[in-house]
Amino acid sequence: MVADAGAKTGGGLADRGSPDPSVGRPDCRRPPSHGRLPEGRLPPGPTCRVDLSQPLEFSFLGRPVTGFAGDTVASALYASGVRIFGRSLKYHRPRGLYSMEGESSNTLMAIDKVPNECAETTELKAGMSVRAQNVRGDPQTDRFAFIDRFDRMMPAGFYYRLFHRPYRLWPLFQNGLRRMAGTGVLDPRRGLEEGIRGEGGIRVEGGIEVEGARMGSDVRAERYLNAEVAIVGGGAAGMSAALAAAERGLRVCLFERRPWLGGHLVWRVRDFEGEPLHRRAEKLAVRLRAAENVKVFTSSPVTGVWGENLVTGFTSGAEGDLFRECHWECRAKTVVVAAGCMERPLVFNHNDRPGVMQVGAVWRLARTYAVLPGGVAIFSVGDDLSLEAAADLADLGVKIRAVADAREAVRQDAALVTALEERGIPVLAGWAASRVMGRKQVKGCELGALKGEASRRFGCDLVVANAGMQPRIGALATVGARLAYCGHTHTYQPVELPGGVFAAGSMTGLRDPRAIEASGRLAGERAVESCGGSAPGPDESLPEPAPGCDIRHGPDIGRGAKAFVDFDEDGTYKNVVESAAQGFDVPELAKRFGGFGLGPGQYRVAGQNLAMIMADLRGDPVETATPTTVRPPLVPPSLATLAGPGHDVHKRTPLHGELAARGAIFRRAGPWLRPRYFSEDTSCRKEIRNVRRNVGILDSSPLGKFRIFGPDALKALQRVYISDMRKAPRGHCKYSAMCNDMGQLVDDGVVIREGENEYYFTTSSGRAGSTVEWFRYHTRYDRWDYNLVNLTDVLGSLNIAGPNARRVLERVTDDEVSNEVLPYLGCRRITVADGVEARCLRLGFVGELSFELHVPSSYCQFVWDLVVEAGADFGIRPFGLEAQYCLRAEKGHVIIGAESEARVTLTDIGMGWLWDCGDTAAKKVGAPALRACEKQPGRMRLVGFRVDEGSGSPRDGAVVVDGAKIVGYVCTTRRSEALGWQYGMAMVREGVAVRGGRTHIRQEETPGRGESCSATVVPTPFYDPGGRRLRA
Amino acid sequence: MRLRRLWRPTPLKRHYDVIIIGGGVHGLATAYYLSRDFGITDVAVLESQYLGFGGSGRNTAIVRANQRTPENVRLYDEGLKLWRVLTDELDFNLMFFNCGSLLLGHSEASVGAFRMAASTHNFMGVHSELLDPRQCAEVIPGLDISDRPAFPIHAGLYHPPGGIVRHDAVVWGLAKGAAAHGVHIHQGCEVRGIDTDRGRVTGVRTSLGDIGCNRLGIMAGGYSSAIAAMLGIELPIHPLTIQAMVTHPLKPFLHHVFSSTAYHVYANQTLKGEIATGAHMDPQVNYTTDATAYYLKHQAEALVDLMPALRGVRFMRIWAGLADMTPDMAPIMEGHLGYDGLFLDAGWGYFGFKSGPVAGKYMAEYMATGERPEILEAFQLKRFLENRYSGETAAVMKYGHWD
Repeated sequence: MVADAGAKTGGGLADRGSPDPSVGRPDCRRPPSHGRLPEGRLPPGPTCRVDLSQPLEFSFLGRPVTGFAGDTVASALYASGVRIFGRSLKYHRPRGLYSMEGESSNTLMAIDKVPNECAETTELKAGMSVRAQNVRGDPQTDRFAFIDRFDRMMPAGFYYRLFHRPYRLWPLFQNGLRRMAGTGVLDPRRGLEEGIRGEGGIRVEGGIEVEGARMGSDVRAERYLNAEVAIVGGGAAGMSAALAAAERGLRVCLFERRPWLGGHLVWRVRDFEGEPLHRRAEKLAVRLRAAENVKVFTSSPVTGVWGENLVTGFTSGAEGDLFRECHWECRAKTVVVAAGCMERPLVFNHNDRPGVMQVGAVWRLARTYAVLPGGVAIFSVGDDLSLEAAADLADLGVKIRAVADAREAVRQDAALVTALEERGIPVLAGWAASRVMGRKQVKGCELGALKGEASRRFGCDLVVANAGMQPRIGALATVGARLAYCGHTHTYQPVELPGGVFAAGSMTGLRDPRAIEASGRLAGERAVESCGGSAPGPDESLPEPAPGCDIRHGPDIGRGAKAFVDFDEDGTYKNVVESAAQGFDVPELAKRFGGFGLGPGQYRVAGQNLAMIMADLRGDPVETATPTTVRPPLVPPSLATLAGPGHDVHKRTPLHGELAARGAIFRRAGPWLRPRYFSEDTSCRKEIRNVRRNVGILDSSPLGKFRIFGPDALKALQRVYISDMRKAPRGHCKYSAMCNDMGQLVDDGVVIREGENEYYFTTSSGRAGSTVEWFRYHTRYDRWDYNLVNLTDVLGSLNIAGPNARRVLERVTDDEVSNEVLPYLGCRRITVADGVEARCLRLGFVGELSFELHVPSSYCQFVWDLVVEAGADFGIRPFGLEAQYCLRAEKGHVIIGAESEARVTLTDIGMGWLWDCGDTAAKKVGAPALRACEKQPGRMRLVGFRVDEGSGSPRDGAVVVDGAKIVGYVCTTRRSEALGWQYGMAMVREGVAVRGGRTHIRQEETPGRGESCSATVVPTPFYDPGGRRLRA
Repeated sequence: MRLRRLWRPTPLKRHYDVIIIGGGVHGLATAYYLSRDFGITDVAVLESQYLGFGGSGRNTAIVRANQRTPENVRLYDEGLKLWRVLTDELDFNLMFFNCGSLLLGHSEASVGAFRMAASTHNFMGVHSELLDPRQCAEVIPGLDISDRPAFPIHAGLYHPPGGIVRHDAVVWGLAKGAAAHGVHIHQGCEVRGIDTDRGRVTGVRTSLGDIGCNRLGIMAGGYSSAIAAMLGIELPIHPLTIQAMVTHPLKPFLHHVFSSTAYHVYANQTLKGEIATGAHMDPQVNYTTDATAYYLKHQAEALVDLMPALRGVRFMRIWAGLADMTPDMAPIMEGHLGYDGLFLDAGWGYFGFKSGPVAGKYMAEYMATGERPEILEAFQLKRFLENRYSGETAAVMKYGHWD
């Protein structure tokens, strides 16, 4: 987690290392250093965020290009004359700037070899290498551009009807389709060489050096926040909400996707109540920055608002900031969504040509990035904001030939219409764009009346188009708001919000800046109320939501020309019609069949248009149209940012460092890292031999260790253990097992009675974490009085095993450990050296004389050193899990998961003798199941086998076959040095489990290269069947 | 190209010989085979939402036949061979991309498990190979086979016959095929009750009115146990959400399906170029199909550890569906379940898509003849009463509360 810098003012991660761009602006009105305006640039105005005195060199297609500090990749490219940014997925049509918000794949580019980076929103940095995507050759002359002419052969869903006859040709087509599909290019080997190798088989040192080696190149951060109020959107409404809540003492986190606050006001220069709108927003931002309790995160898009008001997103910060790429999650009591609006794309013929842009894109090019968007423009729009933009752009020198407004005249702001007419721009109410002329760039535009036949053609190099505004409903939709079509604003509006969620600002249809701010304040106050504060005061009387525009598409739609509903997968209006004609006449089906809203633009571009058009095609009223489901993430985060710095979470035993120094090769075992081998010899011959002949030492600390005490402790043990635990005598280890309700073996270990109502028990290491809950669950109705303490991490454990084990132990303790005092399965407390108290358990898992010392974790290293020193004369050496695995298998001891599985019960694997079958009063977990299948025929059994000499050497997992049937499989098999032959355990069908019976074992790791062998079923244990060695 | 409706709107009759609840792969396949192979065309498929709304439209479209036990391998192997046959029969390109799948193992134990799987498959004539880490990286360049990842790769189980299929196309193709044989498909028809009379199923109550029937098939994926519960039949099924996501589209670089048990991920590159990837199930029993922020992050952590090049890729969509989990991860295919004429095909967990057509084929036979096909013997409900699990999963599974 990242420590918070700049606690008081919050400080989005973006703010480090650069002048705070979110309060007002850096002074960008400085003239360029050489005094001349660069080509394609406008004189920087009061809202400009590009510093024309600071050129940044980068490259496009290998050619040098100059941008300026503050540019995005797209604004710099556009200013330098680039119009074609890439080619479309299906038809390879040229595509250019559209929204400046990264709402479709048109301007996804490869930046520094990272594919699909959004050029419209990525801040330009010096030295960037930018390339176009889905292009063969130059984007101007793409070799696949001809595909655009074959659209008649590609109606909606064409690929389901083609390419499969004859079927043998399909793989050819399939590979062709694959090559055509996709956009960005990824080198799969990238990043492999940067990996850092750890020591000894697994990454063991996660410390500073490792992290340091990654620093600076690709480091990611994570941040976890809590707040009473989380605010999505830092426009006027979001800021007002933040201030309202913060003033009442609540903690507020505000997330804004752009690098600055102010929303759509920051590029508007129109006077409002005596000052330009951008000043109004800047003042609000200054107030917000000064407010207590508010953390402001800029350049921080929200990826989703999830259940229980979890807000997630990421921050892309300034260069040189090592925290710059940050994933964050904010758990909030309440959420105010003030995400603003986006423009609804206008569907008309050739609406995808480079030079067709949305109003916001054109306006921001000019006002924010000081880029001249075009010379001569035609507008076809559907709201007042766009009319304001037209007048403003005309003032900046764009010649506007006409403004078509899809709305009727009565719905327009008369003052804006007058302003346009004063500038000599005709306003055509009830008109819209019907067609764009020009292929690689707009050359002209035809406007048509929405009612009637009238049309006019204009020459132009820029078409500015939208169908009005639509709210950014993503955050509301993902948090579970119910949205419905509103016949006044012609948008989807929330009609039911989940608890603690509020909507405010222009997304609710408001257009008046005062109303937007007031709605934000009100939402902030409602959030306060929802957190236990007092209710908000009466609403101010402010302008209502403005009427919206319900245009579906331009006139003359689809007449042989493509009118795009979805840019990502080239889904046209005609494709919608075709989808409906084939039965896919609801948006969810059409989306999947025709490909509308499945690409990088998701629901944002196609969503509302598809629903409205489909309603028309079905003849349904538009109010019934249901758009496709909004799915997170609302803005696509990179996997690197989501993944964060990497979490290799594991537990280490108290002896980890010691074992590593002794050359342990570690493996994960449940949550633990444990030594599997102590040499590269994975057969562990030396480790095994040393235990059998001398003495070995094993770090068994992960063993589950528990203390249970209280009046009802025995009852609890009787419930979960399958044996009669009343028979656990003092000072003696009682071996038993736990089953689940199905009679399957889930755990085994020993129980030691240590006093009146006081027991100590061990569990398998993988099971330790579940044990307490297991006891609680299975005694939940009994109101028993017992306490259960998990000592697994408190106590370490050393296992000393081998014929010389006692002699070693005698050297480190003065206590008696003879066979008489401490026989097999005995247990007593001893003192090691001068005062380390240890439980000493006489166990025999590996089949030799062995002692297990349970000592406090902090003394583990001390005791280890003593034992190893004492054992030096006897050739003591550590052994690992693989050696232990083989040693115990020679004894026929079962490891859960290796020789048991979900299909078999305790009885099936030959451990039924543990079950106290007479006891029904204790309601032992698993007993009914064991009883039910005790005598059931046809069950699988665990058997021991001896591989017939010279017939082969099967390995774990080989199958047991009977004629043409598979009748079992080998769980574990090894060649034993002690035995001189290969033994194994297999899970087999009943008929095979006959002692002395011959079985056939077969393994075929690669087809055609199978090996067979025969084996004989023999009793277990294989080694020391009388058990004399472990009783020595 | 002439464009026709794949399935025509049909009037809702008051009675059908066979009603199938669930307009997904299983229900539609059953209807298709009933009408095609047994001449039973008086069939209605009832779907509460739209065709493919449930698991059929939410899975990651992976198909394979490298299951653990012979009973399952046999069924899935036959299923795997049907994609090609159905593409021809339905005259609808299901886009079977026979890319093969690679299952990654991250421990010594996984090597044994994979050897068992490969030996089983090859013995049965199903192609599988046990690979070492170096071979894994040859099959899928970009896999990190060093010891850097939290779970280093120890082995791979490569299964060339597997691949991916365009999942929606299967739904639509089967709907087209069934409708062509006279099956009625009713979308937006929610079943709210089941009528019985003297031990026989007689009809269903739906949001569009009561409909009579002689035979009823419950094939509603994650919702099947809730529908069976309408008749008081309790099934050992836990519905859990399982999530999946896709990245931005990329030019082809991942030419196989890969999956990993330790990381709980599986991934493939669709024909459109997206990396489609799925996660393990949510631990809580629920019907929400809500996606969670946790899985988006978990998936990224896992994928970039396995294949570092994916660091630069972006997720663009996450969604969730229901997995109807049985305790042994094998399905329940039953006939005359408590009532004459009541059939059930459920509990497929996250294997419901790959099994759809073959399950439909045999359920159709079961429903038509009343006799259980031999291949379905292993999938009876009674195995849970007799405590005989299928062995499809080796580990003792836990869903929801303990066991």
